[in-house]
Amino acid sequence: MKVKYFAYIRNYTGTKEIEIDHCYTLKELLLKLCEKYGAKFRNKIFENNSLSDEIIILVNGRNIVHLQGLETLLNPEDEISIFPVVAGG
Amino acid sequence: MLGYTGTLLRVNLTDNTIKKEPLNLEDAKNYIGARGLGTRYFMKEVDPKVEPFSPDNKLIFMTGPLTGTLATSSGRYEVIAKAPLTGTIGASNSGGHFGPELKYAGYDGIIFEGKSEKPVYLYINDDEVELRDAAHLWGKNVFETTDMLIEEAGEDAKVACIGPGGEKLVLFATVMNDRHRAAGRSGLGAVMGSKNLKAIVVKGSKSVEVAKPKEFLEICKKSRDMLKNHPVTGEGLPTYGTQILVNILNQSGGLPTRNWRDGGVFEYADETSGETLTEKYLVRNKGCFGCNIGCGRVTRIAEGKFKSFGEGPEYEAGWAFGADCGVRNLEAISKANFICNELGIDPITMGATIACAMEMYEKGILTSKELGRDLPFGDDEGIVEFTRMTGLREGFGDIMAMGSYRMAEHYGHPELSMTVKKQEMPAYDGRCLQGMGLEYATSNRGACHVRGYLTSPEILGIPEKLDPFVTDEKASWLKTFQDLTAVVDSAGICLFTTFGIGLPEISEMLRTATGIDLTDEEILQAGERIWNLEKLFNLEAGFTKADDKLPDRLLKEPMPSGPAKGLVTQLDTMLKEYYQIRGWDEEGVPTDEKLKILAIE
Amino acid sequence: MGRNAHTCHCAKESICRAIIAKTDGLLLLNNKYIKKEVRLASSGVQQIMSKVLMIAPEKCIGCRTCELICSFNRMEEFNPKQAAVTVLAYDEAAISVPIMCMQCEDPSCMKVCPVGAIARDENNAVIIEDQRCIGCKMCISACPLGNITFSSKEKKLIKCDLCGGNPQCAELCPSGAIQYKEATPANLNKKMKIGEKFKDLFGEVYE
Repeated sequence: MKVKYFAYIRNYTGTKEIEIDHCYTLKELLLKLCEKYGAKFRNKIFENNSLSDEIIILVNGRNIVHLQGLETLLNPEDEISIFPVVAGG
Repeated sequence: MLGYTGTLLRVNLTDNTIKKEPLNLEDAKNYIGARGLGTRYFMKEVDPKVEPFSPDNKLIFMTGPLTGTLATSSGRYEVIAKAPLTGTIGASNSGGHFGPELKYAGYDGIIFEGKSEKPVYLYINDDEVELRDAAHLWGKNVFETTDMLIEEAGEDAKVACIGPGGEKLVLFATVMNDRHRAAGRSGLGAVMGSKNLKAIVVKGSKSVEVAKPKEFLEICKKSRDMLKNHPVTGEGLPTYGTQILVNILNQSGGLPTRNWRDGGVFEYADETSGETLTEKYLVRNKGCFGCNIGCGRVTRIAEGKFKSFGEGPEYEAGWAFGADCGVRNLEAISKANFICNELGIDPITMGATIACAMEMYEKGILTSKELGRDLPFGDDEGIVEFTRMTGLREGFGDIMAMGSYRMAEHYGHPELSMTVKKQEMPAYDGRCLQGMGLEYATSNRGACHVRGYLTSPEILGIPEKLDPFVTDEKASWLKTFQDLTAVVDSAGICLFTTFGIGLPEISEMLRTATGIDLTDEEILQAGERIWNLEKLFNLEAGFTKADDKLPDRLLKEPMPSGPAKGLVTQLDTMLKEYYQIRGWDEEGVPTDEKLKILAIE
Repeated sequence: MGRNAHTCHCAKESICRAIIAKTDGLLLLNNKYIKKEVRLASSGVQQIMSKVLMIAPEKCIGCRTCELICSFNRMEEFNPKQAAVTVLAYDEAAISVPIMCMQCEDPSCMKVCPVGAIARDENNAVIIEDQRCIGCKMCISACPLGNITFSSKEKKLIKCDLCGGNPQCAELCPSGAIQYKEATPANLNKKMKIGEKFKDLFGEVYE
């Protein structure tokens, strides 16, 4: 699985993207990433154990809000993108 | 009524007369200011069938009641005329410092009529207002013109002007102010050029007053706090600018690529992103007048063939020269954008027109003989060179100066122009973002992203998270967003404030600034009134339901790949619902009943 | 002299030019006086325990919110030309500099005032007492940084008074370019360094 990071999330991960062993759900993946990157990353991603409002996560381009949220099932070839909430125009 | 200065300037360029007149307060109450009020004046005075470059077309500069106050991001003013690119009502706004300075000089707006025999500029220093000879400025670019006028008028002067693009009637020429800020879309700079009006210079020393100072201060402080504490306006935009959108649109499959031919995914997107811009080229961020967001980019390309220094690129400009042209070189993209500012042309239409030419070249419709050189997708030197040539109307640039629709039509292939009402669609693919598709089709000034901005709920999840692929409810969201953006544009503040504050705060600022006692709902209804007024103009100008459409590529060519693979914009379903929600008939004409409710004569 | 004397291309040049631009006329008229006062202003900082206004031009985004709130706080109207703070923008150098009264420790405005209308208040602000002021405007000429102006509308002098201890420019500044900080030794040192820099810049101008 490929995980991509954007904007200031990169400050916490120190990298733009990684390959990671298959996780079955998004929650499993995020917990693994939190372990890897530590408290600062965790505090951005989670707020009281649910996904923070300030984060956008896409699985293969689809916002997980429109999938099954943290319970979204993942396949080994999936691409996951993690963004802070941003805007422009 | 405060917030307004209460005075307008009426400048007749044909007979060289300047009059001051009181602002129509009844209209101000109903149409707020800037975009709404300017359009109201325009429609009362100008035949919608007027030719855009006729002396009978008027050119209106109008501020809003919040312009120049402590309301956050209060640097906005609007330029209004019949637009040469689209033939619709043209209303385009800009930030910087020019709008507030006009109010400090004592004027809510300026109405230009007729056409000057020779190049002139308008000089305003409080009560001293005169037309001055601009022979020495004609032919100068935006930066030279601004510098020369500031040299003449003093360091504290603010300048709005046109560049060679406006002088040479490039159909998408901009009005530029404070060097880098643009009233950018639909070619209002060319209307200014057609009148031989090179610039407006303004210096003001008067005050802008508000009706309820204490309450106004309170709501301004509250709004500023909200923006400062919001992750988008307090952190994302100041750090990365608008170009931050490249990656999220790309990952979502909504970044139109190679003249919208590819699947909404540009393989080199990250090289052109806000992250890359920040890392490699950002000198610092900058704010317009009264802004506590500061999304502006001061950027420098230190060396190489694209060496340059200026502001931008913003997301849509960066997309037009980048993904849309298949160009991955951010230095070339920035350079092309700087040239647009220098010559006074709209980078969205410019980039999209080059992208269209690239596809025509690829298909053999345009040859290197006509173009004067090759122009494949990805040609980084090409975007810079053709931008320069278009701004100056040299070589094939003379054809590109008409925009992509007229160019493609000229060669018998209008279907390759990605336009609505002849204006190029910006950086969000309507097959992926269904709501944006509807927005382009129904925008009153041709395809546009800031007449509603459904990207916000569809991709960014603000204020709610809507599924971009779904059409349900998009029509009603769009109506609300269109009405709200009309309010924001008319108030004189920046649309970006709405990422952090909403109708309640904006309404409270308007109430306490003007003293007009309107509810939030009535203020939103003023936005609806403005939208309907613009629609009426377009209908009278000859537009029909048949013009509320999208290019066939969005309707008939399913997205070839990427997350939105297989999708087209389901316009018919959404449009029908939209007309109903608007209270318009099946042909998209506002009903008498609706006009009565809105009290539009 | 002036604009061309400085030949480097650093941010310092911009600050230099900012100061020159604001005080250009005065420099020409009163250069002897200014040289002397800059020296005094920059060397006379004492360590007293109160807050000071700190300026960080590198953070300024040029929005001029400080000018808006300053004028509003004084007269309940928005009018940047009636503000005691001015943001000088230098596009080509990509910098803008908010400039307001530094509340000098040895204020030349106070010394030059013929009627003793300029005093120091409990917040360490140098203030002008309107009742005593006769409007001779000597203080305008005396200020080395051009930070006192005259309001023809109100018929009185405009000068930063730290808003009675709660400077609104610092409170509303969105980027931290203007801050009101405890006068710790570190902060005072930084402020003194800015003063020294100003002095150096003026020095270079005259060489």
